[in-house]
Amino acid sequence: MNEVESVDEPALEIRRLRIEAAGRGTATTIVSSLDLSLAAGETVGIVGESGSGKSMTARAVVGLLPPSVFVSRGEIRYGGRSLLELTERQWRRIRGSELGFVMQDPFTMLNPVRKCGRVIEESLPDAGRGTSRRQRRAESIERLAEVGITDEAVADRYPFQLSGGMRQRVAIAAAIASEPQVLIADEPSTALDVTTQRDILLLLKKLQAARGMGLVLITHDLRVAFAMCDRVYVLYAGHLVEAAAAAELESTPMHPYTHGLLISEPPVDRRVAELTGIPGAVPVPDDVAGRCAFEPRCAWSTPTCRNGTPPLTEVAPRHLSACTRVREIHGEMAHPRSRMRLAEPLPPARPPSGGPLVRGRDVRKVFDGRRDQAPALAGVSFEIGYGESVGLVGESGSGKTTLARSLVGLERITSGELVVDGVAVSAGSRLDARDRRRLSHTVQMVFQDPYSSLNPMRTIGSALKEVVRLHDPSATDPSARVAELLESVGLPAELAQRKPVILSGGQRQRVAIARALAVRPKLLVFDEPLSALDMSAQAQVLNLLTRLHRDRGIGYLFITHDLAMVRQIVDRVYVLYRGDIVESGPVDEVLARPADQYTKKLIESIPRPTGTWLT
Amino acid sequence: MNGVSERTASGRHGTANRSDVTAGLCFAFLAVICALALGPSMAPYDAMGANLTIGLGPPTESHWLGTDALGRDILSRVIVGARAALLGPLIVTLVSMVFGNALGLIAGCRGGWVDSVVMRWVDLMLALPGLLVAVVVIGALGGGYWVAVAVLGVLLVPFDARVIRGAALEQIPRPYVEAARTLGVPWWRLTLFHVWPNVSAVTVANSFLAFAMALVSLSGLSFLGFGADAGQPDWGLMIAENRTNLFENPASVVAPGCLLILTATCVNLLGDWVYQRLSERGLSR
Repeated sequence: MNEVESVDEPALEIRRLRIEAAGRGTATTIVSSLDLSLAAGETVGIVGESGSGKSMTARAVVGLLPPSVFVSRGEIRYGGRSLLELTERQWRRIRGSELGFVMQDPFTMLNPVRKCGRVIEESLPDAGRGTSRRQRRAESIERLAEVGITDEAVADRYPFQLSGGMRQRVAIAAAIASEPQVLIADEPSTALDVTTQRDILLLLKKLQAARGMGLVLITHDLRVAFAMCDRVYVLYAGHLVEAAAAAELESTPMHPYTHGLLISEPPVDRRVAELTGIPGAVPVPDDVAGRCAFEPRCAWSTPTCRNGTPPLTEVAPRHLSACTRVREIHGEMAHPRSRMRLAEPLPPARPPSGGPLVRGRDVRKVFDGRRDQAPALAGVSFEIGYGESVGLVGESGSGKTTLARSLVGLERITSGELVVDGVAVSAGSRLDARDRRRLSHTVQMVFQDPYSSLNPMRTIGSALKEVVRLHDPSATDPSARVAELLESVGLPAELAQRKPVILSGGQRQRVAIARALAVRPKLLVFDEPLSALDMSAQAQVLNLLTRLHRDRGIGYLFITHDLAMVRQIVDRVYVLYRGDIVESGPVDEVLARPADQYTKKLIESIPRPTGTWLT
Repeated sequence: MNGVSERTASGRHGTANRSDVTAGLCFAFLAVICALALGPSMAPYDAMGANLTIGLGPPTESHWLGTDALGRDILSRVIVGARAALLGPLIVTLVSMVFGNALGLIAGCRGGWVDSVVMRWVDLMLALPGLLVAVVVIGALGGGYWVAVAVLGVLLVPFDARVIRGAALEQIPRPYVEAARTLGVPWWRLTLFHVWPNVSAVTVANSFLAFAMALVSLSGLSFLGFGADAGQPDWGLMIAENRTNLFENPASVVAPGCLLILTATCVNLLGDWVYQRLSERGLSR
């Protein structure tokens, strides 16, 4: 790595980059100042939570900023040229052929009406010049083989006919078709399943090594960054707070934010009593201008941290940090992961009293119009006891969400028996009003996307009050109950007057949890409740869920693809694969000694910074 | 959230000020028309008073827009005509908004056979040639301004219902609606307090469109003689009455015509602007 870094002229260099967005009469800061260099053949990671400005940085580098967003200062140099001065015509010669770009969402990145082979043909360096149709087609098939698609028929398929992982492969093939020197990958694996994520990252790593291509990987996942990158830049609220070699950053973080991120991550191998996350939420860059951006959330902050933006200084060889107090506190921050408290041994699972709360027997679900296809649920049988916390693990398309939606009455199962607290939700006809009511008293659901699961036009208080009134018409003081609910999820009661727009993702998810708690349910169904949240918010919400489960004895059905997460919260786990339960048992046992081939694969796919994950 | 705010900002870049200015001008113009409509006293002469001694004449100092064949002051008639121009379309809009929203929301939120019944009715209504139906009904009922208003109101309901149903269907699969369903919120509460506020931007925008459409249609009916009674100050009718005098007093046709076009255009532009602002607010929430 060092020999690569010693190359004089970096392949890509960003100096004092400042990005702003023009609004109504004002400009808001997106990135306040960023320095970055990428040597030829090197992999550099940009890590940050939402609002850190990492995606806009990537877009600035390839000259694809949205119309109202602009670079107000700084320089981006590539191969001795300044990219910011290029005209759109000059850009077209650089984009694709010298700078490749892979976006997060493989579902929107490919033109839906073009066949995959054509997408790649267009990106070939000699597109449309002197080569025959047949030659170009052969070339595109070759390129597809390079990204691991050996089936020639894929070239004649449309993007919507492919899975997410396949689409991302096609997108990568198109991005590197013109042999770019530098590839910018903006969260290339985030929208994919864990197993697919590993394949895609492996592919990127392989291609990069084979071509000696520089890679800028933008991700929110530190584990991914550590596994992939030589050096990592940590971005926070538009500020670069730390930059160092990946291994060094992991073992000895030199900035409290990096440290906080590391300890917010649930460990895969054991259960911890409580995650020590970062309190609060990511601020808007302009709110923390002129001081240390992380100061409001920092455990080590002092009044001096508010005096001006701390400069990025070299605190150790090739290790930059923007913390002024780093010399005093770096000892406390070293080896953060190893110091996480171990959970007390799990209490033995309470024997369910009076039979299970939920019992499913041979539950099948086939969606209308897809009768020829595999069923979403192919006869699964399961049980959830009173007060038990059960996990449901599987990749997308495994039927886990369908199962959850059937439980709360949003989906009707095709056949089988599904009984929730004495209410048969499998009955052939519609549920009558009384049963529906009983069901909503028993089971509640928290959805994946906190941004769309709250009605944007209603205040938080009125949303909660509605539920309180519905389920307890005799409640004397609904407002007091709303305040109590908000408090129970760790939100100030004043928020009742506000609308969801002012809340961060984590806060919204808390409101959604409070709303579900308002009916005093016996079972809470969580459909990937943390996957849309930032890392620091994930830890906070996970802690909240652990506490609620412990204090109130509510049963959980926790749906996730994240095995590290599931270990922290459930007693028992079901592994779902293509509509079938392939394995079940106590979570520790299943994760330690997986019996099924698929479970093994899932466990191997968990991002790990070191070891055999990406080999 | 990040992505949404970025997109919103980008969509408005550079055009923000221009669209605000346009909306301001439209608003000012419509305010003047409203003021004219509310105060007949602003007319310098009696709009109905014929003065055969003057007769047809071009604009003069005392009659700024000239006079028509009966010697009636065009300016006064245009000013008083503003009332008919606004009041009728306003009622048409309200009728179509109330019934159209109700039907559209019920169809969209309830689904099933209710949806089918409502939508087949809508299909039937939209298959009818609107103006022809209006002419036949008004002919049968004896005509008059208020009959025309009533017929137009009924004819616009299916348009509104279809648009609102579409907007409601867009909201139904969203998690917040599903959350409300699992919480046991009754369907009428769900429709009224959860879905409707989120389609209100469409409701408002659609009402502006309906208003402009009603204004033009009503004037058209008046022009054809199926609307305002002969002699009444009504822009459409004025164009019809004075079209033979186009060369003697062009203002008698051009003035009501221009006002008609300007009012309809301003209502449409203002509707666009309001929709943009409302949906922007909805997005950023």
